[in-house]
Amino acid sequence: MIDDALIRWLQGTTRWFDIIEVSGESDPVSFKNNRVHSLQFKQNLGYGVRVNIQGTTGFSHTNDPSGLKLAAERAVAMAAFGEREDFELPPDGEVAGDPYDPAIGEYDVRREMEKGEEVIAALRREFPAVTLDLGMSRTVSTVRLVNSRGFDRSYRSSQYSAGISLTHVFPDGSKVDIWEGFSSQRPEPLEEPAARLREKLAHSLRTASCSHGRIPVLFTPRSFARLIGILLSGLNGKSVYKGISPFTEKLGARLFSPSLTIEDDPTLPGSPYSFPFDDEGVPAARKYLVREGTIATFITDLKYASLLKTDPTGNASRGYSTLPAPSYSSVLIREGTTPMAGMLRGMKKGILVDQLIGLGQSNTLTGDFSGMLDLAFLVENGEIAGRIKDSMITDNIFSLLAGEFALSRERLQSGSMLAPWALFPSVNYSC
Amino acid sequence: MAGEFGEITRLASSLLETLPCQYAEIRISKGLSTAISLSSDEIEAMTSGESAGGSVRVLSGGAWGFVSFNDMDAMERCAGRACELARAVTAREKSSIRSAPAATGSFTTPAVRDHREVPLEEKLLLIRGYNDILRSSPRVQSTRAIYRDLTSRHAFLNSEGTNLEYRKSFAGVSLASIARDGAVIQPFHESVAGYGGFEIVQGREALAESVVRTAVDLLGAAAPEGGRYRLMADQKLAGVFIHEAFGHLSEADFVHENPRMREVMVLGREFGPPELQVIDSGALPELAGYIPFDDEGTPPGETRLISRGVLSGRLHSRETAAAMDEAVTGNARAISVFTQPIVRMTNTYIDNGPWSREELFAEMEDGIYAIDVIGGQTNLEMFTFTCGYGYEIKKGKIGRMFKDIVLSGNVFSTLKNIAGIGNDRRMFGGLGGCGKGGQSPLPVSFGGPHILINDVLVGGPQ
Repeated sequence: MIDDALIRWLQGTTRWFDIIEVSGESDPVSFKNNRVHSLQFKQNLGYGVRVNIQGTTGFSHTNDPSGLKLAAERAVAMAAFGEREDFELPPDGEVAGDPYDPAIGEYDVRREMEKGEEVIAALRREFPAVTLDLGMSRTVSTVRLVNSRGFDRSYRSSQYSAGISLTHVFPDGSKVDIWEGFSSQRPEPLEEPAARLREKLAHSLRTASCSHGRIPVLFTPRSFARLIGILLSGLNGKSVYKGISPFTEKLGARLFSPSLTIEDDPTLPGSPYSFPFDDEGVPAARKYLVREGTIATFITDLKYASLLKTDPTGNASRGYSTLPAPSYSSVLIREGTTPMAGMLRGMKKGILVDQLIGLGQSNTLTGDFSGMLDLAFLVENGEIAGRIKDSMITDNIFSLLAGEFALSRERLQSGSMLAPWALFPSVNYSC
Repeated sequence: MAGEFGEITRLASSLLETLPCQYAEIRISKGLSTAISLSSDEIEAMTSGESAGGSVRVLSGGAWGFVSFNDMDAMERCAGRACELARAVTAREKSSIRSAPAATGSFTTPAVRDHREVPLEEKLLLIRGYNDILRSSPRVQSTRAIYRDLTSRHAFLNSEGTNLEYRKSFAGVSLASIARDGAVIQPFHESVAGYGGFEIVQGREALAESVVRTAVDLLGAAAPEGGRYRLMADQKLAGVFIHEAFGHLSEADFVHENPRMREVMVLGREFGPPELQVIDSGALPELAGYIPFDDEGTPPGETRLISRGVLSGRLHSRETAAAMDEAVTGNARAISVFTQPIVRMTNTYIDNGPWSREELFAEMEDGIYAIDVIGGQTNLEMFTFTCGYGYEIKKGKIGRMFKDIVLSGNVFSTLKNIAGIGNDRRMFGGLGGCGKGGQSPLPVSFGGPHILINDVLVGGPQ
């Protein structure tokens, strides 16, 4: 436990310190192969102690509440070898409210089991051969942060997550796997993701093929969000400082089409990715990452803000067992003006890409990507003609975003990103 | 944590005798770890930490209840909760487990130098030495050198009387150089890890030298043209291929309750040429996927997944073995005591074939020699891998260097397209590992000899 004696000892021993306490409880329901497989309950608690002594930093962690003093002593011992870090910790100040929705209390394991059974029954009525795995969970966690400048605050967060994954094996042995899921602050119905799964499966029953070359590609919010993820890794202050980001020295430069605007917003109401202050105590703030095609912000924690000689952006993220590093909260990609249905109808011949595999395994530092089409459809004369597989797209996301493209008016949540559909007129396709 | 390890396991043992359920197991662990991470000329992180905790898994009325905790005083309460959870399910189709004899035993990693006795200065000095090598070219923009060790104690007990203990010692390093030439940014990375003491990570200078050399060489390499090629996979790529593309398919939890998958994966089905043998074995103590017993207390075995090109076995937990009426294989593994065991691989490899390396290259004539792997993914039918690097092969001779070689294909047709299997198998495993069901990275190893494959799709502009 964090007690006064420990704080006094640390005050006397260190130049500065902070202690993060993370605790949580979750009770997941897990369906495997169309039936309830297990119910779980998980409890966890852990502490991370960071100290700075004569300018160098040490860190240690424990998940044993009675071992916190020992962890603090280990951190002090580690500091003798640590790197020089000359930043200061934030003082106490006003912070926003908790990302907690009391409706999380309505989570009921029996009701979740019923919701799962309903989804499975409805999908199997139409497609008797499908196999479904589902997972629903409630997590309530508390983060407490204490530092040597008198900061001592905690917040509670609530998260409901649901994921449905479907496998359909065709009589010839080929198969399709489709996944849908979301997280929110409170329990939500499963009808919408189930309906999207149904539609995708229906389109997958026919197969189609397409010859290689450059072709128009419409990315769904999910696949577009993954491509934007490649760009975001280059806006992380850590990569920028190390000189391995292609955007080092490019702050303020217009590198992309003016239709591209991306924001990071840890204050988004109702989002399970929001927080009142980051994991070093810096207040949460909404910021542009890319504004009308221009590189607007490199996200930082205290360390990288100090190294890059800027103000911290409040993006420090950590569990109890690691040091902070810059990370994103809710990422919002600004929508366009075209209705999604119109984009699809306007395609004479192209590919609609939803799930890619292997996207992150290339040398993405340069924007190059290569993805196998896990779930993608041939579009002909504005209609989905069938599923395309055994083929891949290979291109550079930075050059695609610098060129001509259209974003849809509608957006969907994909993980922590809110993204539109994106239509690129010419993407390299091989099969 | 209240009480000593032995006291906690005794409490667990008596608790298991009284739990009102069909089957129950308790896993407990306590460990101490050190991690040092260097980047260019700075110490990015230097941490040490301890982790303790446990879990109770209960089977009752054909459903599982699972509770994890890190407050050991809560164990009894958690066991009761696990029983309640299992009973809360009215199972339509019931889970059961294959019976197993009670086992007792105690295992210890043999270590020449216990990590806990190596001063922190010495660990730092070692990884600094490697980091200096990684930075030794002026064309290196950044480096990342990571040292990690873990010393832990594990106990597995179940209601059938099994009581096992394992004192584990694991260490590894991960070494990366990121070379840069103008807008071209080129990373390359290698990792080595295994069970033992400090000796596991010592003497790895040659590995660091090869990392920096390869990263710098790759700056001048071009991507191959997209298309279909004859492809020679080196031992590491062959290993990752068999792990990703085939190994996951042989995990019975994908198969046991899906009638169509059972047809696809029916034992006796031909998967490749007669010279193809694929094996998974958790019983090889020098490799990262070694386990003295799995997370259901089953001893590891050697499972022949493909014999003479024909599907001959698959990997099981006690649950999937019961469902398919096959033998348990000791492949139920969990990333930590806080998660439920699922069917996983251990050390998976293609066994040696008849071809010498020279014969294979002569047979190949023209194509691409693909070496090492940056990453790979599969959906159990299609796969994609990015190779570390490679070379153009013309008339069996090595030509210009390639980078960004992205291979993809269909698992079934690619296995059938294997045209030759070498006799120079090697095994690999580092600080990374395998991911499945949100549990990553699980230590595994993989390997094989050089293999020649016809008609492989390589992505890129044509």
